[in-house]
Amino acid sequence: MKHPLLKLEPLIWLLFGQGILLGTILLTPWVLVVGLGVPLGIVPAEALSYERAIALASHIVGRLILLGLIVLPLWKGVHHMRHSFIDFGGAERDALVAPLLYLLATIGSVLALVAVVRI
Amino acid sequence: MSDGQQKKTFVITRFDPDRDDAPRKQAYEIPVHPDWKVLDALNFIKDEIDATLSHRWSCRMAVCGSCGMMVDGEPRLTCKEALDQYGDTVDVAPLANFPVVRDLVIEADGFMEKLTSVKPWIIRAKELAVEEGPMRQSPGELEEFKQFSMCINCMLCYSACPVVANEPEFIGPAAIALGHRYSLDSRDEGAAERNEVFRGEGTVFSCSFANECSEVCPKHVDPAAAVNQAKLNAAIDWATSLVLSRGGSK
Ligand code: FES
Repeated sequence: MKHPLLKLEPLIWLLFGQGILLGTILLTPWVLVVGLGVPLGIVPAEALSYERAIALASHIVGRLILLGLIVLPLWKGVHHMRHSFIDFGGAERDALVAPLLYLLATIGSVLALVAVVRI
Repeated sequence: MSDGQQKKTFVITRFDPDRDDAPRKQAYEIPVHPDWKVLDALNFIKDEIDATLSHRWSCRMAVCGSCGMMVDGEPRLTCKEALDQYGDTVDVAPLANFPVVRDLVIEADGFMEKLTSVKPWIIRAKELAVEEGPMRQSPGELEEFKQFSMCINCMLCYSACPVVANEPEFIGPAAIALGHRYSLDSRDEGAAERNEVFRGEGTVFSCSFANECSEVCPKHVDPAAAVNQAKLNAAIDWATSLVLSRGGSK
């Protein structure tokens, strides 16, 4: 069965791989700061005050990091979902499910891009 | 041959395409020796009890790769597996994920086609003339691919691979490792051709990195590493050819 996505597999895999690598590198400190640092008082709450956060997010580096933080794990997530679906016996439906999942990730990526540009 | 000799029961999957509609199980209780391998028990059954039992083997030293079977549900080289690690009842079945020819003998044609599909030979843009002398390779360059050349084509990895089970067209661990071995060879110039195969119908990207192939490999080839390196190379090669094709070249 020729898969409709066959031609795009390298791109999808690169996004997925970067989702694991960069996504994890970016997400870990993010969770540490926002999820643990601030609630535990290690990072002062004012450090993430609205003014500071918006300044950080509207800097070009901040925008790029935010984009990576949202988009890459999204691709990692749908790729994992696709393969879990196959592993649970959905191999025959892959030709339908895979494009749907990747479409979802594409929409999410575009929305993230728009949001990041408009900050 | 002492009186108190240990006995084990072997529950063997039998299938005769001329007589059976589906595989069936047959049990044989036999005396076993402490130093036997699983293969010795099968040979004993064939020689002493039931000459109709069909199974493949040759070297008895984990080199030829022909004696792979499912032993208690796991793909194993039967000539390598000591019998004493198993219980009183041992289940022996043909390798999973392959069509069965008869009893414990599987059909390997599909696997052979996959092996040749990755062009497992040294590809050169221009052959060196004999006068130019031998192609030299440093120990370091040899080390690059040596591990991936240790495969004995026993097909245990195909039996263990959940992706092969779902997608029979997947090139699979051993063949990808073999192709990758040649692409890593300093004398070879065929990586681009193989990358195309790797991105083709049986795409390397189908691998979900379950790592089962490397778990069962009796030769510690680590095919999972080869497959994932092959993915990266095939993806980078794809991205570069995308950029280069803009410029009008290949
Ligand atoms: S008989 Fe040759 S590998 Fe087992």
